[in-house]
Parts: sequence; structure tokens; C-alpha cells
Amino acid sequence: MLLVLSEEHKEHLSFLPQVDAAVVGEFGRIALEFLRRGASPKVYEGAARKLCVPVEMVQHGVEGLMFLMTESSKHMISEVDFLDSVLVLGFSEELNQMLLQLYLQHHSQIRSILSHLPSSMPAYHNLEWRLDVQLARRSVRQQLIPMLTMRVHLTRSDGHSDYNSRILQTDPSTLLHLISTLEAALAAMKTSHARRILRNIK
Amino acid sequence: MELSESVQRGLQSLADQSAFDHGSFQVLVDVSFRSLLSSHGDPTVLDQPEFNQIDQILLKQSHTAAVTFILEAVKQNADQSTISSSLEELTFSADRTEIFYSAYQKHKKDLERLLASIGRGLPHITDASWRLEYHMKNGQVDKVNDSFYLISLNTENEGSSEDINFTCTVEQLQDLVGKLKDAAKTMEKASQM
Repeated sequence: MLLVLSEEHKEHLSFLPQVDAAVVGEFGRIALEFLRRGASPKVYEGAARKLCVPVEMVQHGVEGLMFLMTESSKHMISEVDFLDSVLVLGFSEELNQMLLQLYLQHHSQIRSILSHLPSSMPAYHNLEWRLDVQLARRSVRQQLIPMLTMRVHLTRSDGHSDYNSRILQTDPSTLLHLISTLEAALAAMKTSHARRILRNIK
Repeated sequence: MELSESVQRGLQSLADQSAFDHGSFQVLVDVSFRSLLSSHGDPTVLDQPEFNQIDQILLKQSHTAAVTFILEAVKQNADQSTISSSLEELTFSADRTEIFYSAYQKHKKDLERLLASIGRGLPHITDASWRLEYHMKNGQVDKVNDSFYLISLNTENEGSSEDINFTCTVEQLQDLVGKLKDAAKTMEKASQM
């Protein structure tokens, strides 16, 4: 799959051949930091001053580079397709190889950062349980009610790495019902229908 | 059983044949159990023809005392000897004790259930639903190609229900089911002790 670069994008990237290879490498680093931590105007200003060019040029160059990296990572473009896509920029062979190296070194990291972007639902992390017997409560004494108390640990839905936990209870018969329901869920993965889909959609 | 003074006095009036004759005693016992078991408060519960001759304040005191006694007995899971000795101490005749106790036996299970439903607790899981999905791509990343489960635990707490939704991979679901099966095994062993 080839990337189609817009005119504006090509214009932004046209800055790159005008600077040293070392500078391109530095821009690559800034672009990745941008992905990880967000843009920092001070860095752009510093670079612009050193290179004696306007700040916008630096900013566009970095952003253009970053966009090139993220689009390539998003679609998991092969080496060949990547090189073919940047060919249209008319860069030197050396510069093309630099960009390719940048892509190859960082594409899985970029993909992992991108995959955290979509807001996700809470995901299962862990389950703790204990068996209790209720003996009494304020309104009734002399009870004998077995209960399973559980703490379900879930990741928070805004993607932060800490966990939410919920304390829940259930009774023995519901527990058995839950087990059989979830075992049926596991069995669904092993049907020929599921296997066929998993095998063929790649 | 420990009873307050006003409850003791109310019950003593109920025991008194000159205050409550046989017919009105029977009706008051029935009405007391009924007013506990009905789902709506009934302001006319004491408007029975058998109560016309009885002083209304005395009637209310006896009704309140009877209802309190019943609730306390159910709460403590009182047996026949406890109830009989408490009532006899309050001057109930053997006959009246018998009438009271048979009504208690008849309604005890329902009253227990009512009392057990009062109070706060943790959300109680009643059911679980699941979906198996295949994540192909999203706006930020292409070619994800991952399968995952969407699990929903339906819980109830004091009448209001809440669904707890989360995703998990096949391995995580296996972990979850494994832990639940451990819990079930433990429960089974405990029930055989």
C-alpha cells in the first residue's frame, strides 16, 4: 500500500533536504517526543535559532515527519512501499534511507502509542474472591447464608495505568450459572466459524 | 425476650379477657400479622367491627405491642418455649398463647424474608452476558486483527440495577473462569463440612 502525501505535507517535508543528515535525525527524535509527550514550542524555537530559519519551518518539518511516521505505522507499510511513497518527495537516496531507518526502528513503538488513543472500555485485570457466611444482620439474627464476595480489578476507561476495583457478591447458584455462561463464551472461540474468520481476516 | 415497658403493658392488655374478649383477641392477632405482611400501610387496619367496644387508645397500644413482639420474635428466631414463656409471664392464658403461636408459625417464613430484605449490602450479581468480537481496525490504527470479549455483569443493589461492562482477551477470560471455578470448588467443600 502506498501513502498518498498531500501537497501541503510535501511542502512541509521539503525543508528536510536543506539541512544536514544529523539535523534530520534530531528532527526525528523531536517528532517522536511529540508523539509521546506533546509539542514543546521552546524546542522549535531553539532549533530555529540554531539553523537560522523561521520557527514555522521547523515546526512544519517536525510535524510533517511525525505524520509520515504515524501514517506509515498505522497501515504497517512494508519497506518497499515506504520507499516508493517517499520517492515522490524527490529526496536524495541517503535521506530516503534515513527516513526508512527512522520508520523501521520506531514503528512498533508508534503503533503501541497510537493504539492507546481510542477511548477504550475498562478491561479485566484481576479477580480476588472469598467465601463468607452471613450469620446475622441488623434486622434478622441467626442466619446462615453462604456468599461469594469478589473484588474485580478493571483498568480505568480513560487509559490511565491505574486500576479501578469493584466489590461484588453472589450466591452459590448464581456462581454456577456464571461459570457455565462464561465457559460457553470460551467455547465460542473454538467453533469452526470463529476459526475461519480469525484465519482469513489478516 | 427483652421487651420494653410499653410493649409489656400493651401485651398485658391484650391478655386481659375483660379488655379483649375471645373474638376481638383473635381478630387483633390476625390483623397484627396481616399489617406486617401487606405491602402498603393501611390506615383502616384497626377499623374492625369487633373493636367497636374497645377503648381506641388501648387498642392502638395493644396493636403496636403485638406487632413489636412479633418482629422481635422473628428477628431472634424465637422457638415455641421462648414465645410461650414470654407470653405467659405477661398473663396470657394457655389458650391465647396457643392462638398467637400458631399464627406465628404460619407467617414466620414470610416475615423472615421481609426482614432479611431490609438493609444495605454489596451489589449482587444476578447474571452475566457476553459478546465475542473481532477488532479489525480503528481510526488511529489499521490491521489490529485481534479478538476480544465484551462481558457484562448484571448486578442489583436494593432494587436498583447496574451493569458492569469490561473487555477481556481469551486468556483473561480463562483466568476469570478459572478463579470462579476455584471458588465454586471451595464452596462445595465447605458445604460438606
